[in-house]
Parts: sequence; structure tokens; C-alpha cells
Amino acid sequence: MDIAALITWLLTATGGFIMLGIWINKGGHKAGSGSRLAPGLVFGHFGLAAIGLVLWIIYLVANESVLAWIAFVLLLVVALIGFTMFARWLPVRSGSNAESRFPLAVVGLHGLLAATTLVLVLLTVLDAS
Amino acid sequence: MSPAAQGSPEARPSERAKRPVTLLAGTYGHPLHPALVAVPIGAWLASFVFDVASHLAADASAFAIGARWLIGIGVLGALAAAMIGLLDLLAIPTGTRAFRFALLHLSFALTTTTLYAIGFAIRDSEPTGPVPAGPLALSVVALLGLGGTGFLGGTLAYRYGVRVADEATQAEGYQQP
Repeated sequence: MDIAALITWLLTATGGFIMLGIWINKGGHKAGSGSRLAPGLVFGHFGLAAIGLVLWIIYLVANESVLAWIAFVLLLVVALIGFTMFARWLPVRSGSNAESRFPLAVVGLHGLLAATTLVLVLLTVLDAS
Repeated sequence: MSPAAQGSPEARPSERAKRPVTLLAGTYGHPLHPALVAVPIGAWLASFVFDVASHLAADASAFAIGARWLIGIGVLGALAAAMIGLLDLLAIPTGTRAFRFALLHLSFALTTTTLYAIGFAIRDSEPTGPVPAGPLALSVVALLGLGGTGFLGGTLAYRYGVRVADEATQAEGYQQP
């Protein structure tokens, strides 16, 4: 289950990178770009998810349950930021913002895989404690 | 601060690659990625020294344990460096030679990290003697991959000036008082 979480986590990250690439390519990260996704939200989501992923990998090697708990709490914050961005993205998904170019399939799969990761991480944490 | 650093939206492609996409990637002229790669490079090089030392020194198993730890530290450092490196990749305009070099650099780096992760996994966690030939050979191959990764990264920075401050900013360092 812990390895399954790692796999879904990596797949989720791939989707995130696709969206990040599109967003930056369309100038979303620049001040005054008109993007509804604040750079703090985007890079906070990215940074915390990345730290969580590295902690999860250390947990897989070291088997120290406190690391899994920290990773889970980080994922909760990441999910909260993710939901915030999703809510801000919905009204402009067919507009002309940098984030309007996100393919619906990538957004949907990213969310689905993220939710799966969160559940798998929670189950692993409960199992380890 | 130079005009390029202030960020006009219609900047030349080479100027775009000089600017960080976010503060997470470091400030203008102070990229974080080349600072972070010092961790895996140092750890993996030291790991190889320990591999060799495990065959020469009296306390073989101590060096073998240390070599495995250094590989692990290097893998974690490489993962952290990769996250920040990907942010710099996004700064480079796609379809350019610099972008292709960056993709090649990324492929070399991921392959090298994977080889070391495999090396960590196949090594005995409680070794009783020197590092065996198999894991040692894998480390040699991975070390070559590391060299290739560094060469490509060097090309990106010193030849194509990715995340390097523009010449107007550089000239500030040579003004006579």
C-alpha cells in the first residue's frame, strides 16, 4: 500500500508538472498576468507536495512512522491549496487566462490520483501506528 | 537591478531563461539548483572513495556502511535538487537548443539517481566485509552518468547562460570605484 501511494503520488506529480508547465509558458507566474492562481498558491502547492514526496520516500526506506504522519499532514495542506485553486480555476476554464489552457482530462486525473494518494497515505499511516 | 531582471513580458528567449519562475528557484543571479546539486555530487563522490577504502582499510565493513549511507544521502539530495531544477527547466523556452540540452540533462540526472537508488537497494544494510564487485561496478557506471549530467548542466549555465545574470548586471562587478 505504501508503494502504491508512491506510484499514485508520482503520477499525480506528473499531471501537476504538465499544468505548471502550461501555466508558466502562458506567463501565469508573472505579476499582472491576470491569472486567478496566485504564484504563492501554485508554488506552495508544488513545494509542499515535493517535500512530502521526499519524506514519503525516506519513510519507505527508514520505516519511521513519524515521517509518514508528517507526509500525511503535508498532503492535507497540499489538498486544501489544491481545492482552493480548483475552485478558482472552474469559472475561468474556458476563458483566456494562463490556466484556461489546462486540459480537463489532466485536471480531472490529477484530482482523482491526488485523492487516491491521500487515502492510500492515510491507510498506511493508520496501519503503521 | 538590470532592466532584464525587472521582467518585461516581451523579453528575448535567452533573457527569459535567466529569470527565476518563482523565488523557490532562487533569486535573479542566485539560482538554487546549482547550489543543491553540490549535495549529491559530494555524497556520491565520497561514497566511491569509501567503496575503494573498504578494500584497502582494515575496518572494511565500517566503510561499506558509510558508502551505503552516502548513496542514500545523495539520492535524497538529488531528489530535492531535481524539484528545483524542474522549475528552471520551465523557464527555458521550448523548441530551443537550450531546452533540448535541458531535457538531456534531466534524463541523465534521473538515470543516474535511479542507478544509485538501485545501488542503495542491492547493497547489504549490515555488511560484514568490503563492498562487493557488483555494487561497486554499478557505482562506477552511475559516476559516469553523474559526470555526463554535470557536463550538460555546465553547458546550460556557462554556454547558454540559463539562470545566469545578463551582461549588464555582470558589468556591475567590474566598475572601477
